[in-house]
Amino acid sequence: MAVIELRDVRKTFGAVEVIGRVNLTIDDGAFVIFVGPSGSGKSTLLRLVAGLEDATAGQVLIDGADVTHLGPAERQLSMVFQSYALYPTKTVRQNMSFGLEVARLPKAEIKARVDGVADILKLGDYLDRKPRALSGGQRQRVAIGRAIVREPVAFLFDEPLSNLDAALRVEMRIEIAKLHQRLGATMIYVTHDQVEAMTLADQIVVLDKGAIQQIGTPMELYQSPANLFVAQFIGSPKMNVLAVRPDGSALIFADGSRADFGLPVPSSLAHVGFRPEEAQLLPAGQGHLQGVVEVVERLGSDTFAHIGLGGLGIITARMPGNVLNISLGQPVGLGLTMNQLHQFSADGIRLS
Amino acid sequence: MSIVGKSATSAKFRRNRWLLTAILSLYFIYTFMPLFYVITAATKSNQDLFSTFGLWLAEDFQLWENLKTLFTIQDGIFLKWMANTAYYSSVSAIGAALFATFAGYAFAKYSFFGKKLMLALVLGAVMIPQTALVIPMFLMLSNLGLTNTSLAVILPSLVFPPGVFLMWAYIDDAISNELIEAGRVDGAGEFHIFSSIAFRMLMPGFATVLILAFVASWNNYFLPLVMLIKPDMFPITVGLAQLYSTAISGTGGVLLFTVVMTGALVSIVPVIAAFLLMQRFWQGGLGAGGVKA
Repeated sequence: MAVIELRDVRKTFGAVEVIGRVNLTIDDGAFVIFVGPSGSGKSTLLRLVAGLEDATAGQVLIDGADVTHLGPAERQLSMVFQSYALYPTKTVRQNMSFGLEVARLPKAEIKARVDGVADILKLGDYLDRKPRALSGGQRQRVAIGRAIVREPVAFLFDEPLSNLDAALRVEMRIEIAKLHQRLGATMIYVTHDQVEAMTLADQIVVLDKGAIQQIGTPMELYQSPANLFVAQFIGSPKMNVLAVRPDGSALIFADGSRADFGLPVPSSLAHVGFRPEEAQLLPAGQGHLQGVVEVVERLGSDTFAHIGLGGLGIITARMPGNVLNISLGQPVGLGLTMNQLHQFSADGIRLS
Repeated sequence: MSIVGKSATSAKFRRNRWLLTAILSLYFIYTFMPLFYVITAATKSNQDLFSTFGLWLAEDFQLWENLKTLFTIQDGIFLKWMANTAYYSSVSAIGAALFATFAGYAFAKYSFFGKKLMLALVLGAVMIPQTALVIPMFLMLSNLGLTNTSLAVILPSLVFPPGVFLMWAYIDDAISNELIEAGRVDGAGEFHIFSSIAFRMLMPGFATVLILAFVASWNNYFLPLVMLIKPDMFPITVGLAQLYSTAISGTGGVLLFTVVMTGALVSIVPVIAAFLLMQRFWQGGLGAGGVKA
């Protein structure tokens, strides 16, 4: 297993910089997830670690050794691709043994490794089938098996669950979590799905436009987002954010509404945020802001109410269970507690 | 208000379908007529060839006699010509398909200095008629001392720009970049990835280029005409043309016309057979890429 380090790594395609200066250390045995919207550079960063892209500048180190100019196989890494990338004309066994044959391992060892991994991943009945005869989940397991047999120093996953249906995605997420527990391997995982990030990661690296926005545990990102981007990317539904102007101990909202908290507010405060579950819904006429329920979504386990606040836009409130005393068109009040609000400056940076 | 679309039973659809069928029938007749003439001509005696209606059989069915004459004339040289044609076409087709596959793979899957220029040159070469290149090629091969050898016919035929273009488009769609990257992560070199993973996936495209190159080489007339002098090295196209020249000049006897027609008929049989045998490959190859899997 390995410590992976990126030092001042940059990547440009022509004049376009897709990865700015990135410095990152991934500890031995950690499960680190790169998350971000499309075009954020997360897959490019993973490919730089893998050696499938050449860094324009900077270094990639594995256990202190500079591997920047080495190819993927020489870095002793394995990768699971979004499309699985199984060799379609080869059987499952041949897919899994291909890398070992290239490395000229003895036949007996190849067979032992493939059989062992097939046992772990429950692929024993499928070894003689070709990928086209497998379901999506089975193909995914073959792709993971192909990565495991090479006994790499780290595993790289590039959106491996994107092509699966929702139910299978949940199942495979649990399988990957168990795999990490079992192998204790360093894993770098790329996804745009922040639910995967929150449930699987030891550490999350949030990327936007080629720059790292924040590195932290899932709870650190959820509870203390470093900026507005992280605040609204992590968490579903996303954080409610309102533009404000401080006025002594009060906040003036964009529609002129005033909320007085009796405590000084930071003069650089420009945005306040609260998670949907932190929204305090009150009877109409009470609270700091007034609104009307525009949409109610009932999931059984939760009830989401989308509330129009007039000129301030729409906020989302989350209530556990099936809440019966909320309905379309109902006027409600919204209460705010200053020290529970997430506070951001004009340029979106968190105020401590 | 409901939205009304055309159905298969509507009068306009039926009218359009009949019109299309009529146009295609005319095209079919136009295409098939020369072939039909060859078939009927090969069954006639030389006298009937000039005295009966060209597009129908004569009373006297002479196909077997014509075949016997064809395969015995000039000590059985027609068989030699067929063997030459099969040899030139097979080697040229396999070579052209392989080179087109290599080139198409490189264009589709790699970035390299000069790629755009080389691709433009290949596309430009598609537009140059082969006939225009034969004389410069003759001069080049003559300087190398290769004229009047089989290489003089085979070497130029190994270059098949339409095949490169076809394979480039096919491979771009058929082989995902992730598949190649998976091979690289597994430690395979580029040629190993190509031979062990990619090539088997390219068989429909390869077969398509193979059959197209085979037919182009089988039907090639001007190149072997310029490059070859010895009659026993001729392919069928040049050999039959020589027989026809002899027939017209009157030095070989009037019989030669029927021999030429019978030879033309025999010469297309292997090509038709090859097309039918490879049909499932080349239809798949031509259609690939139309729908993303």
